[in-house]
Amino acid sequence: MTGIQCCPHIVSFKEAHGLEPFKITQKWLVHCSTPEARQVRARSCTCKVCNSYSGRLHTCLHCIYFGCYERHHIHQHAQDTNHYLAMDLSYGQTYCFHCQDYIYDKQVEQIAQHEWRKVCKFNGWSETLLSTLPYWEPTGVELESLRLNPKRRKIAADSYVGLRGLVNLGNTCFMNCILQAFVHTPMLRDYFLAERHECEKDQCLVCEMTTLFQKFYAGERTAYVPFRLLHLVWTNARHLAGYEQQDAHEFLIAALDLLHQHLSASSDMVNNNNNNKIITGRPSTSSTENSISREDVNGVDDDSNGSSGNPCGCIIDQIFTGGWQSDVTCQRCSGVSTTIDPFWDISLDLPGSMSSPWHCMSPTQTAAPGLAPTIGTVNVTSEQRPMSLKDCLNRFTRPEHLGSAAKIKCSRCHSYQESTKQLTLNKLPIVLCFHLKRFEHTNKSRRKIATYISFPMDLDMSPFMASRRSVNTRDENTVDDALKENKYSLFAVVNHLGSLQSGHYSVFVRQHRDQWFQCNDATILKATIPDVMQSEAYLLFYHKQYIDYD
Amino acid sequence: MAEYNEKKSRDGQMRAAINQQLVETGEREKLKELLRMRLSECGWRDQLKQICKEIVRERGLEHVTVDDLIQEITPQARQLVPDSIKKELLHRIRTFLAQQANL
Ligand SMILES: [Zn+2]
Ligand SMILES: [Zn+2]
Ligand SMILES: [Zn+2]
Ligand SMILES: [Zn+2]
Ligand SMILES: [Zn+2]
Ligand SMILES: [Zn+2]
Repeated sequence: MTGIQCCPHIVSFKEAHGLEPFKITQKWLVHCSTPEARQVRARSCTCKVCNSYSGRLHTCLHCIYFGCYERHHIHQHAQDTNHYLAMDLSYGQTYCFHCQDYIYDKQVEQIAQHEWRKVCKFNGWSETLLSTLPYWEPTGVELESLRLNPKRRKIAADSYVGLRGLVNLGNTCFMNCILQAFVHTPMLRDYFLAERHECEKDQCLVCEMTTLFQKFYAGERTAYVPFRLLHLVWTNARHLAGYEQQDAHEFLIAALDLLHQHLSASSDMVNNNNNNKIITGRPSTSSTENSISREDVNGVDDDSNGSSGNPCGCIIDQIFTGGWQSDVTCQRCSGVSTTIDPFWDISLDLPGSMSSPWHCMSPTQTAAPGLAPTIGTVNVTSEQRPMSLKDCLNRFTRPEHLGSAAKIKCSRCHSYQESTKQLTLNKLPIVLCFHLKRFEHTNKSRRKIATYISFPMDLDMSPFMASRRSVNTRDENTVDDALKENKYSLFAVVNHLGSLQSGHYSVFVRQHRDQWFQCNDATILKATIPDVMQSEAYLLFYHKQYIDYD
Repeated sequence: MAEYNEKKSRDGQMRAAINQQLVETGEREKLKELLRMRLSECGWRDQLKQICKEIVRERGLEHVTVDDLIQEITPQARQLVPDSIKKELLHRIRTFLAQQANL
């Protein structure tokens, strides 16, 4: 016998009173989706005996009565009146005083689900992405597969599940390291393992990724052969085809772009688009008219920066899309024109770069938070600490004078003027990828910059936020808020070892809270935190510590 | 003593007014949802499920009631809620109250 459907009392209750008492209670008191209902709930729901609104308030389903559970006032009512069914007002569970237990009834659950959906809709909560439904009712297919697979696995804190090597198919370490980083991205894992993507196409990259995630989490130990995936990448991104070493960063961007394209073309998006609140912060003000792209300013920049497609709200956009705000200030009238551009990663120049030399930037110059770094500080200390990721970010977001060669038409005074440009972050993605530009292509040669760049385990992006930089938002509250909301944790580091010609990629990934592993194609080794932090990083993956569901 | 009682009843009235405001605006529902998500994110939910399962396994399903379970795990459950989550909720409530003109 299962615990379900064993209360005969609810059956007789329904025979006598129907479902109306459940419906009314759910709609007006438990899952209030209208202002009227909330008002009723706010004004009427207190314990009739002790006047408290806490203490697990229950309502009688036979009459209008409220009593708390903790001090047994609802019990008292049941005893006095023989009203045996009550409903918990926090979660809408039905309690039977004869059975002395909470009970389950399919019809009642359905009513609850129905009202809960209305609450989600009212608040703009996504049912699909966040799986906010408090009740999971397995479908026929799910029940069948639970029956067929009776073995349940509990993932312990030291489990190796999710760790699996990838066979090198001939210089494909550039792909393997990115796939490992994807597999260890918590939100991507949740998406793919939940099989949110429904499709009947024969050759679909998203389907292939789903397979990859399943193969990784199925618990097998032998290295996986990502042959079909490689084949799909080759046919879809011609520039990555062939058995020669490719750039891992290029692969990352191509993979994100292909996944995004497949997803926005597939039917998944139909029900995703209007549901997901997470993406509504999306920049829409972007106008190409006044916008100068980073490429124009920084000179050579050959990476297609992910903005090839417009954000469509697919899982890739939800996780990886952030927004740059570019403020161009006219030197004559001080008019500011602002443009916002989506990005999937942040490409940073390194010291030693020839195309973008780092004069006058000292690593000791740590800008006070919230202040734009000053340009032209001289190197004061003799003792040099290594350049850090923050130094690179400071440099990238400093105000930059666009010389007389780059005059732009000011939209306010309508003349061609010299101007100052500053980049700040307008929207932070859930996963923040940094690309340290170690490979430099000039027309004569390609070279690698092997400088060590330090990077933190926990990264606070607050100093680089647009809201932080504007003058009037520096009161305590916003600072406090920003500190929490803009924090990231490192979870994957891609390294390029060796020279440009005979190089090799490997990746450190984080498993559970603080365990690190180095994935080197088919080999996986346990790594220490110093191993990770002292490595010569090429790509850094950070995950947001707090995900705002609003 | 009278003064103390007066203060206590004023506090109680204030608390009730705040609660009413939270419910009427829908903020309470949002906070509840946020809390639910945070608790499952950090593993609290799984941890408690495990603790409950162990209690039930130890004593047998027939000998454990919901009331026993609640009484037994509540202190531990409260303690296991990470400080960061408590702080976040407190902050949200403060921010909300600061925006309410009629309190
Ligand atoms: Zn019963
Ligand atoms: Zn009471
Ligand atoms: Zn009653
Ligand atoms: Zn597909
Ligand atoms: Zn997309
Ligand atoms: Zn102007």
